[in-house]
Amino acid sequence: MSGAPHARPLAELRSTDADAYGGKSAGLGELIAAGIPVPPGFALPTAAFLRFVEDAGLGPAIDAELAALSVADTRATQASAARIAELIRAAPLGDALRSDLARRYEELDVAEQPPVAVRSSALGEDGADATFAGAQESYLWVRGAEDLFTAVRDCWISLYSAEAISYRANLAAAAAPAMGVTVQLMVDAAVSGVMFTCNPVSGDPSVTAVNASWGLGLAVVAGEVTPDYFLISKVTGETVRRTLGSKPFEYVAGAGGRGAVRAEVDEARRGAACLGDEQLAELVSISRSVQRHFGSHQDIEWAIDRDGVIFIVQSRAVTAVPGAAAEAPTAPLSAMSLVMGTFGAHVGEG
Amino acid sequence: MAATAPVSAFPSPYSIETPPGCEGWEEIYPYHAFFAPARREKDENRFWFWNSMHFPLPMSAFDVTCIDGPYQAVGAWQNRVFAVPPAMGIDYRVVNGYIYISGNPVTDPAKIAERAEFFQRRAGHYFANWDELYARWREKMQSLIAQITELRVPALPEYEPDEVMFDDERNTAFIDVLDAYQRTLRLGELMWQQHFEFLLLGYGAYATFAELCKNSLPDIPDQHIAQMVAGIDVILFRPDAELRRLARLAVESGAHEAFIEGRTPAEIEAELGASDAGRAWLEELERIKDPWFNMATGDGLTHEYRSWLDDPAIPYAALIGHVDALRAGKQIERPTEEILKERERLAGEYRELVPEAARGAFDELLALSRTVFPYVEEHKFYCDYWFLTRWWNKLREFGALLARNGYLEDEEDIFQLGRHEVAMALDELVLMWATGGEALGPHHWPPIVRRRKEVLARLAQWTPPPALGVTPEAITDPMTIMLWGVTTQRVQEWARSQHGDSNELIGAAASPGTIEGPARVIRTVSEIADVREGEILVCTITSPAWAPIFSKIRAAVTDIGGVMSHAAIVCREYGMPAVVGTGRATSQITTGQLIRVDGTNGVVTILGNDGR
Repeated sequence: MSGAPHARPLAELRSTDADAYGGKSAGLGELIAAGIPVPPGFALPTAAFLRFVEDAGLGPAIDAELAALSVADTRATQASAARIAELIRAAPLGDALRSDLARRYEELDVAEQPPVAVRSSALGEDGADATFAGAQESYLWVRGAEDLFTAVRDCWISLYSAEAISYRANLAAAAAPAMGVTVQLMVDAAVSGVMFTCNPVSGDPSVTAVNASWGLGLAVVAGEVTPDYFLISKVTGETVRRTLGSKPFEYVAGAGGRGAVRAEVDEARRGAACLGDEQLAELVSISRSVQRHFGSHQDIEWAIDRDGVIFIVQSRAVTAVPGAAAEAPTAPLSAMSLVMGTFGAHVGEG
Repeated sequence: MAATAPVSAFPSPYSIETPPGCEGWEEIYPYHAFFAPARREKDENRFWFWNSMHFPLPMSAFDVTCIDGPYQAVGAWQNRVFAVPPAMGIDYRVVNGYIYISGNPVTDPAKIAERAEFFQRRAGHYFANWDELYARWREKMQSLIAQITELRVPALPEYEPDEVMFDDERNTAFIDVLDAYQRTLRLGELMWQQHFEFLLLGYGAYATFAELCKNSLPDIPDQHIAQMVAGIDVILFRPDAELRRLARLAVESGAHEAFIEGRTPAEIEAELGASDAGRAWLEELERIKDPWFNMATGDGLTHEYRSWLDDPAIPYAALIGHVDALRAGKQIERPTEEILKERERLAGEYRELVPEAARGAFDELLALSRTVFPYVEEHKFYCDYWFLTRWWNKLREFGALLARNGYLEDEEDIFQLGRHEVAMALDELVLMWATGGEALGPHHWPPIVRRRKEVLARLAQWTPPPALGVTPEAITDPMTIMLWGVTTQRVQEWARSQHGDSNELIGAAASPGTIEGPARVIRTVSEIADVREGEILVCTITSPAWAPIFSKIRAAVTDIGGVMSHAAIVCREYGMPAVVGTGRATSQITTGQLIRVDGTNGVVTILGNDGR
């Protein structure tokens, strides 16, 4: 990389870029490469944050805050976090970064001020580290370059949330924190949710498990609604199990298409299935492609826009596959001794 | 005896009351068939379930032969030949005419180990030599069928013919009559012995494959397992395939005008007989009747189930449906190539999904299951349909003999006497024929028959609970699970449904899809012809013999049965939802009610009282 750290289109990233751009951005790049439908976007490297801190000379001030802090004191930690947030908010972004971001933003779409989703892309995306570093932070329906800058800053600020500070303080050797940022065109979601490429409870790899609810994915991810649950056979595509949830509200674009707001779902739609057979089939087909590409079970966030087009907005490896898969036999099974077992004639181990 | 009834979701077998007007029903049945005080302590602490699969209606006295025979045979093979380690035979009891059964477990570990040695050696031999042994089995069955067909029920002549006088090898008619009756009973017993020789092993091989799949893939639908195993050209599919062929022949030759909904078989045949094309078609029908019309009108093991030869209502109903479908431009032949291709595709995909260490066993068990599958399906055709319908007809001949001599009012009445009572009646009949004396039988038997018919008609109105006795923590008996599909989960669902009158019935998801429609509840075979286009069939158990009417219905619901049943397979082929093993559909749903069948989740919902 030459000169100032700069943003790159997601489509150019691969998993090897995870160290520089964070797990989420690199993962989305991989998905695009695999032909998976992902909303177009670009990624800011972790170095951009480090450069920002350096240019603004925030390092000593932040270090001083943290050094004086006893994390056992929750109130003091919160106060510290608030002061660091203020420091980050007040510091200039720097012209190079601003014009880089603005240019990439403009390139995203022909529309004027297209809405985007801004998310943090932490290092070590899968671990608890990511969770505490605010990897779940999302700023949705962000419009215009100025709002984009604010959202990028907010992502960075989440790196110094009270929770993140205490978490890192308890680690033996915490590296200086850094974070990438992912910016993607917003999917105006009619329905969204999460799917697993195996049954998350039984571990059965022959099914895809889908959770779905109305509107943006927030409601499902945060567990604020009981989503619809579908278990789909990968082999035949048929629905093996279906439980309709109770979905009394949804997240939609706020006034003027800015920000996400919670809205009531009308009575008729609350208990109605939010996915049909065709959409489920398409989701399962995509989930199989994603699984095949990564070679492991995946936890995938998806959204379907108001024209019915499906997008994948995130995919992570399922690290702990439970149940059947975990108890898989290690030694080859003998057919005849299994038959004998059915009749209660258990053959001596062999 | 002051035994205290254990707490259970199900009633104690000793607490069941006799419906009004049925007092003394016990006299119909053998002394050993009851929940008797002498067995109370044991019987009250066991789990009994209603065997509605085989005995959906109150049993008539003679038909008890088809309880004793099967349980003698199944126990002999399972307990005394193969020595299945944890399970001896199956006990039955009669409650208000309905049959409840319970397995006898082996609990002593030393005994189990001792039996395991027998079992491994003997079952291993069968699995290793299956095709050869099964070929011999088919030959034996065909011989038994020939014997029952050829068996002559002698008349009692005024004078014996000269041969009796002048030939050495002739007996007088009293010996011939008694011999023929004993021979008929014996052939029945031999058939039951045949019936169960392979059955346990066949089901066991399949159950093992199913379990292997489920251990690795807990969410695999049962129906996919069945699809991987099911054969294409098993003979049970032939009768319906022949009907489809005949329907096409009718349409192609212009004989189809005769097939009109609502007409009786006789009316249709009369019209066919009036044209050349019709007569040619009738000739072709005659040609295929033997053996393909030896299907029974149902799965039950009672004399009510006749063959298509005896009662062509079912095949003609199917022919009408097939002709209509053809004229509407539909393809009616089973898409066997596609079914086969899909079967291989499923097997290939699931094979890849099971863990590597299980793949070898997956292949072997799938192959073994496919090897045993023809027997599992075909024994029904040979034993339950072909043999049994002829056997019942042979008994009707004895009924006619007794009726001719005034011992019965009608040949059918023979089924109201126990098999030993029939022997008694025949004893007196040949005695009086010999002596020329005055018979008491005509005074003795008809009132007994009349009373029993009345009692059975009243008992038929009573709804038996799905189970009696203690609720088991788990069902472990392999036979109960394999043969009846009665699993721990199913029993828990029955137990829950005992309390509360929910409009929802839970069963096994046998064929996916959801559909609503008016119910048609069928409890006896004679009602089959009432089924109308677009109805949802609700029955105790669907029989392969009913397959043809599946072209009319929109979904199927049964009280009992598993997802590997032939009928479940047919439903899947028709792409029609099915829920099996609900335990109580025929008692909770009435004809005409609007119901929803969710074959994906195994739920049936009663929506309203009139679906029309």
